Amino acid sequence: MSQERNTTRRRILKGAAGTAVAAGLAGCTGDGGDGGDGGGGDDTGSGDGSDTMSTEAIELLHAWSSGDGNAAIAALIEGFQEAHPDIEFAEEPVNGAARGNLDQVVSNRLQSSDPPSTFQTWPGKTLEKFGEAYADIEGEVWNDDLKDNYLPGPKQQAQLDGTFVTVPLNIHRINNLFYNTAVVEAAGVDPTSLSSPADVVDACATIASETDAVPFAQQTSGAWSTVQLWETVFLAEAGIDGYEAFINGEGDVDAVQSALENVVALREHYPDDASSIGFTEANTMVMEGDAAFIHQGDWAAGAYGGADDFNYGEDWSQVTYPGTSGSYLLNMDSFPYFANNPSPEATKTFLSYCGSAEGQVLFNREKGSIPPRKDADVSSLNAFQQDQFDDFTGADNQPPSVQHGLAVAPGVATNIGEAFSGFLESYDAEATAEDLVDAFN
Amino acid sequence: MRNPLDRSGRRRSGEEETHPAGDRTTGWRSLLRRDSVRSAPFWLPPFLLVGLFVYGGIAWNVLLSLTDFSGLGTPDYGSLDLENYRAAFADPLQAMVNYLAGVSGWVTSGSIEPQTPSWSDLTIDPVWNSLGNTVLLMVGFSVACLALGLVLAILVDRGVRFEDTFRTIYLLPMSLSFVVTAKFWLFMYNPETGLVNLGIQALGFGPVRIVQNPELKLGAVAFALIWQFSGYAMIVYLAALRSIPTSHFEAARVDGASTVRMYWRVIVPQLRTATVSALVVITVFALKAFDFLFSMYGGYQPGPSADILATRMVREAYANQNWAYGSTIAVVLFVMALCIVAPYIYSQYQRGEL
Repeated sequence: MSQERNTTRRRILKGAAGTAVAAGLAGCTGDGGDGGDGGGGDDTGSGDGSDTMSTEAIELLHAWSSGDGNAAIAALIEGFQEAHPDIEFAEEPVNGAARGNLDQVVSNRLQSSDPPSTFQTWPGKTLEKFGEAYADIEGEVWNDDLKDNYLPGPKQQAQLDGTFVTVPLNIHRINNLFYNTAVVEAAGVDPTSLSSPADVVDACATIASETDAVPFAQQTSGAWSTVQLWETVFLAEAGIDGYEAFINGEGDVDAVQSALENVVALREHYPDDASSIGFTEANTMVMEGDAAFIHQGDWAAGAYGGADDFNYGEDWSQVTYPGTSGSYLLNMDSFPYFANNPSPEATKTFLSYCGSAEGQVLFNREKGSIPPRKDADVSSLNAFQQDQFDDFTGADNQPPSVQHGLAVAPGVATNIGEAFSGFLESYDAEATAEDLVDAFN
Repeated sequence: MRNPLDRSGRRRSGEEETHPAGDRTTGWRSLLRRDSVRSAPFWLPPFLLVGLFVYGGIAWNVLLSLTDFSGLGTPDYGSLDLENYRAAFADPLQAMVNYLAGVSGWVTSGSIEPQTPSWSDLTIDPVWNSLGNTVLLMVGFSVACLALGLVLAILVDRGVRFEDTFRTIYLLPMSLSFVVTAKFWLFMYNPETGLVNLGIQALGFGPVRIVQNPELKLGAVAFALIWQFSGYAMIVYLAALRSIPTSHFEAARVDGASTVRMYWRVIVPQLRTATVSALVVITVFALKAFDFLFSMYGGYQPGPSADILATRMVREAYANQNWAYGSTIAVVLFVMALCIVAPYIYSQYQRGEL
């Protein structure tokens, strides 16, 4: 009896182990087969898709899993579904909320020829990362209505080598100087009277001598804020022509160095613990009256809006970064269109909605940025956003941001990031200027 | 119940006597009866899985590092060459000169001529700077960690009061993740409010910028790692100390050795195995300091004086999509880890402990 039971148990175990091995092997070969299929099977994939496309749900990947970004994408999707109740979403936000992580997920899916419908990405040169995977949407999405209503800057950023592949959804501005009204008044500084980056340094010196506040709230634990600051100062000093020459790889090393030297001078007015704090802490210093100025993208204003008793025009305000008036330095998010799309028609309908004034207003009201379309009705946005929108529509030019992936290809952006991580250590303007110009080689 | 190993062993030897080897059915049957075959369901699946996912992965990575794979698409295994290794180790003489001059690659980076591999439009910097930092971090951190661990272990072993409490306190940091400790040390190093700077100021010096200071950066990272892992070294040493018979201590005492002399001459030499095994684990932690740097500097750009191979590898692979070059750096890291682990395993093998 016990002998018999033992045998059975042993047999079962053996069987189970055998199955496990077999399953394991099957899994491996299955994987290999998939990979092979994926490599050469593009045509069959899209052929399948076109039969069932109207019923396919849109697979939208994004990293806006919390905060204003999450509210914004929810508002956009809700608005879209009211307009197109027949189209469904298989929405899969990529957790971890980091854009790098999202890129990695998309990269993996593209490697296995299984692209999503669309995903959150910076337009402009960042598109080169997955360049060959995108498809032309001129005509179907980028019709005359979009072309007439996007200003030249954003319109150019929607193109990869002259082909329209993505729809910019929002614009965050980089060349802002935010300030705490009470602090600058106490120091007797009028930010609206400043006209060059050198004036900002002088104003900081005045604030340092007249008040106890930190003149310029900057974080340097990560390099990104300093890249933003430098590109703004560089735009102010070198002008739009010098800026465009740089992002085309023909930068003037002396002009680059001069802008870096201005940043070195500003550094004297950073918080003492700049290297140990992040953006949130730096921005909070301005909100609490511990600092006068902060240079940031206009997401800084999002935090002010959430604070009690800290109102636009009264407690805080913003000027275009001195010397950059007439420019609206762009940071945008966009939704591109993939070739071999799992839901071609539905995706195009969605992208068209993203290109509509209605969809952009719904999204940007929550996001704190502005719609890229010049005909958008911004009356439902807050006062600060309306002022920014007026600046935008009145801007002479809309240059792309270096830090935020529009102006330079990913490899160049990494080199620039490396150069600035070294700059934060040494503040050696001369060496960094050479590295920045060399970043394109 | 008889020992199954004994039983099958005896049966097999019996069969070998009665049946000639040429008999196919019994040969097959005896093969099936072998211990190694009979136990196959237990060792074969993990063996295959480890072989595929660990060693297969390593082999694939080496293969990938020989290709020109970058961007999307599939790697071309048709043309393999050592181009990536030539780019990674370009200009070794100049790098050596820079290193001996005590200058980090950053200051004189212009003098090393970076190469432009065929798959790239941009020049690709060699790995010297991050390699140097990795070795420096590894050596400095491991030696300090072991020394501190040994001192702590001896102190705790001297029979102090609240021994268990001290042991727990020292070991506790190891249970925290790198993300937590990196943020924690970012606060600690804050020039205005950080405890480290309050200490420096109490000694009469001005506040020191640490986090972005090229001279202190790597040291600050190593210090935080030492804080985190010296407790581990302590536990390993403590276990080894406890296994040394009391008679050794007593004999040294009877011979008139002072406490310091007793430990130096009699006890520490017996901790060789413990040192080697703790060293292996700790150096491997140093190679993995990526998470720490990533959290501390908010990304994989910690700056040239704290850039290690791991951060460089992630930058190349995931930011630039230079998969083959990323694999090349991974192979360098792998070889470094192997250089640490292999002598250990070999010595274990020689001593018959493996």
